[in-house]
Amino acid sequence: MRLPPRNSIARDAVKVWKIMETIYVGFFWLFIIAGGISVFWFDFPRWPLVVAVIVGVIMSYFVIFQIPELRWRRWRYEVFEQEVYIQHGILIQTRTLVPMIRVQHVDTKQGPILKKYQLASVTISTAATTHEIPALTEEDAAALRDRISNLARVDDDDV
Amino acid sequence: MMMMYKPRRMHPAAVIFNFLRFMKELTFAIVAGFLAFKGTSFGYFIAAVIAVVVLALVFSFLSWYRYTYRMEGDELRIEYGIFIRKKRYISKHRIQSIDLTAGVIHRMLNLVKVQVETAGSGIDSEASLKAVRREDGEALRTMLKRMGEQPEDTEQISSDKSANPVKKITAKRLFIAGSTSGSIGVLAALFAFVFSELEQFIPDHFFEASYAWLIGLGITIIIGLAVVVLFLLWVLGIAGTMIKYGNFTIAKQGEELFITRGLLEKKQLTIPLQRIQAVGIEESMIRQPFGFATVYAEIAGGSLENGNEYSAVLFPILKKDEVASFLETFLPAYVPEERRLVPIPGKARKFYVLRSMLPVLLVAASIMYFFPQLNWVSAVLFIISGVFGWLRYQDGGFLIKGDRMTICYRVWNKRTVHLFHRRIQAFEMMQHPLQRNQGLATLKLSIVGMLGAGKHFKLKDLEERVVDRLFDWYSYQKKER
Repeated sequence: MRLPPRNSIARDAVKVWKIMETIYVGFFWLFIIAGGISVFWFDFPRWPLVVAVIVGVIMSYFVIFQIPELRWRRWRYEVFEQEVYIQHGILIQTRTLVPMIRVQHVDTKQGPILKKYQLASVTISTAATTHEIPALTEEDAAALRDRISNLARVDDDDV
Repeated sequence: MMMMYKPRRMHPAAVIFNFLRFMKELTFAIVAGFLAFKGTSFGYFIAAVIAVVVLALVFSFLSWYRYTYRMEGDELRIEYGIFIRKKRYISKHRIQSIDLTAGVIHRMLNLVKVQVETAGSGIDSEASLKAVRREDGEALRTMLKRMGEQPEDTEQISSDKSANPVKKITAKRLFIAGSTSGSIGVLAALFAFVFSELEQFIPDHFFEASYAWLIGLGITIIIGLAVVVLFLLWVLGIAGTMIKYGNFTIAKQGEELFITRGLLEKKQLTIPLQRIQAVGIEESMIRQPFGFATVYAEIAGGSLENGNEYSAVLFPILKKDEVASFLETFLPAYVPEERRLVPIPGKARKFYVLRSMLPVLLVAASIMYFFPQLNWVSAVLFIISGVFGWLRYQDGGFLIKGDRMTICYRVWNKRTVHLFHRRIQAFEMMQHPLQRNQGLATLKLSIVGMLGAGKHFKLKDLEERVVDRLFDWYSYQKKER
């Protein structure tokens, strides 16, 4: 088996994901609350609400406390002279090889949560695909972007 | 030719095409309106439709009137726009292809539609002159294409027959292509749809009368009728193929392929060789048993307007053993390899069969719940899906030869795709827990497809170490690992 890529992404990614998952889960709980209110308002049977709350609690625990950690552990990347090597995925593990000469452009992006932790994500686009490395430190992201865009497009194939 | 330097308008027939295009875009709205206002306010609806039609006519005329084109230096300059004037200058050095097409109306008036394409992606062509006289269209094409080239060079190329191969479809082959097109299924669906829509306009007693009549006929005649309907659909399928691929001709000139096709509407397609990303051979379910195949190419960029759907058909029908010599003549780099493919490992068979049967499980469950008397249908579906899963397993495989990769897969039709290392944009390996457990992995590779979107190929459940070796083949970093 080919060795996995060497570099992990920034450790703070876990915190960022936890915040984001909390927001998503929050929306889910709004639905449960709305359901709960209508159960008491219209006198619906109560058992579906109980089931929903139990499922919600278990799901929230996994989504907020387990999955970001796992995801971080699986997320690896490595930039070689000629190609970028990425690994990610919790259940379905994916390894991707993107040659530098196929890269069309590189973007760094930073939302408010990433900014709070001085992180940024890097998106690498070829003519056919896009690949994102989420949550690198700002310096790493900028360096990676510059490095890839320097290496990319060495020769010019006609696509 | 001097006239080309002055701004000029298209042929007035362009008004008709503008109008038809407007109407085409409005059809949906009109049909929706018709269904909505069928009852009470029908008069208003008619008035609105008339107003829309008149407006469309006025706009069609104006947009023709305001649209001019001219050649200036090395540029094709187009000015258009009714309220907002737009100017578009296209340098002839950036032009990838110029295609002349002629629809039925065009052919009656001896006109052509000129489509100019550059490498930019997008749904529309860079410039599309809807109707110009044939001579003008051809003059424009020669001006845009050949201005930089030496005239004696072109002489030479065209005199050398072996360098300019041409292949035309024969009537017999066209007929075979039509009868195996499989569009019968599509047509049957269309027929059913139209019928179900028409239903509400046919009075009820008509149905009652015809049901009574049908039941009176007895089972043999009903089957007979069904056969006749199927036969008619089949004939329609043949006619459709004849119209679409009639006079199909492929020619190679220098670094370009020229394809002309169409019995009523004459379409032309120019394919620069360097834009071909992959060449595929498709054996459809109906054609495979008879040993026929279709050759097609995946092309980067291109526009939907050109009518080349997702990939360009290079030749609609060939005997399987003619494919090699066809490619030898037109695309020597893509001649198939004689060696056997590396097959999918035996331990993957169960995954293939199960994956194929899984969606049927849902259908079967709902059938069991809602129509328990139809459980035999689920059994049939299970068998069919299982067989297809097995076929997918059986047909899958790949082959590496130098920097060319051949992959073979089946969804419904069997496809063999040849592509070069340098055309692959990204290489991916995927594993779910069950695959990890069995030492299998899925390979996914991406090339550039139509409209600049990616086209992805997947080979599921290959041996893990085989995928590893393929990674090494693809990797540009051979020394470090």
